[in-house]
Amino acid sequence: MTDDRLNPPDGCNIAELFSAYLDGELQAGELDRVVNHLGACLDCIAEFRALRDVRAAVRTMPLLEIPERLLPQSHHGAELSAYLDGELVTGEQLTLQAHMAECAECRAELHDLDAARTAVRSLPRLEPPEFLVAHRTTTRDRRAPRRWQVATVAASAAAVFAIGAGVLGSPAPEPVVDLDSLADRHIARASVEAGFTVVPAAGVFGDAP
Amino acid sequence: MGPEPVPTWEDVARRYGRQIYNFAYRLTGNPDDAADLVQEVLLRVRKGLDRYVPGSFEGWLWRITRNAFLDGVRKKQRRPTSPLPEDDRTSLGASPSPDEVLAGVRLSEDIQSALLKLPYDFRECVVMCDVVGLTYEEIAEAAEVPVGTVRSRIHRGRKMLRELLTWPV
Repeated sequence: MTDDRLNPPDGCNIAELFSAYLDGELQAGELDRVVNHLGACLDCIAEFRALRDVRAAVRTMPLLEIPERLLPQSHHGAELSAYLDGELVTGEQLTLQAHMAECAECRAELHDLDAARTAVRSLPRLEPPEFLVAHRTTTRDRRAPRRWQVATVAASAAAVFAIGAGVLGSPAPEPVVDLDSLADRHIARASVEAGFTVVPAAGVFGDAP
Repeated sequence: MGPEPVPTWEDVARRYGRQIYNFAYRLTGNPDDAADLVQEVLLRVRKGLDRYVPGSFEGWLWRITRNAFLDGVRKKQRRPTSPLPEDDRTSLGASPSPDEVLAGVRLSEDIQSALLKLPYDFRECVVMCDVVGLTYEEIAEAAEVPVGTVRSRIHRGRKMLRELLTWPV
């Protein structure tokens, strides 16, 4: 098979440059030849136009979608949360960023995850209501509470509020209870109810006088 | 400029899968052959990435694609046909009028069947240039021929297409 099945218009051997011109593929010096020739040769102007139309027509054919089954699974859900939390290593982060630049679905999911994460993080930190702590200690043990009991009740209260706030699965918040203050207040109250005068906390927790 | 980083085969699939599919589809006019080619190319890429020396990744990929295509053609010895898939109708978009859509489909159909009448070497170069969007140099690397040959094949391919398509004056 030869490449000589079709010949340029009689007398012209420049037509082969027209396609390269249309594709921006001319070599140095060839542009002048094309321009000068087109200015003088009507046959070649017609030839040039026809090639331009053919090229445009092929390029207007729709780019078909590739069947989804041929592509690797493209869901990056697990990486997206880790990405938001700064938990990806550099390589993973770059791969994910490159993927997101081309994947509108993952960008949308990242946006939603970010909104949810921000909402959870903006919840106020709650103090456990005092009655929870006071009720359990006063009904179960009216004696002066030991420190471990206060800590247990405080942690339970924190867990209750974590569940109520719908943040199960997040790390449990540290109890924000000042145990010394809580113990002092409870002792003071228990003492008053029992008809005793308030005694300093140091006296309770220290050696008995 | 340093060498390009070597992508994973998943990256190749996501980034080039659609182009490979369109390349094969426009060469064969057959969606099944196009799908087979994508799978074969991705398999070869997966096996070959270990041995890939960073350089012109596109040249390497399209050489694999072309060889996989030709191997597939030799294996099947199947004559290409030119059915118009549903995709061709639906991917034209919703905004043009029905007449424009029909005209577009007919045009696309005509061009596809004209492409299939070109000698393989010409068809391949025209598709790589006008459908895939490769430069002459990239086509030369993929087809393992000089750039001058690519230039000649594209030009002659277009001239033949012009004669095959009957243009309203």
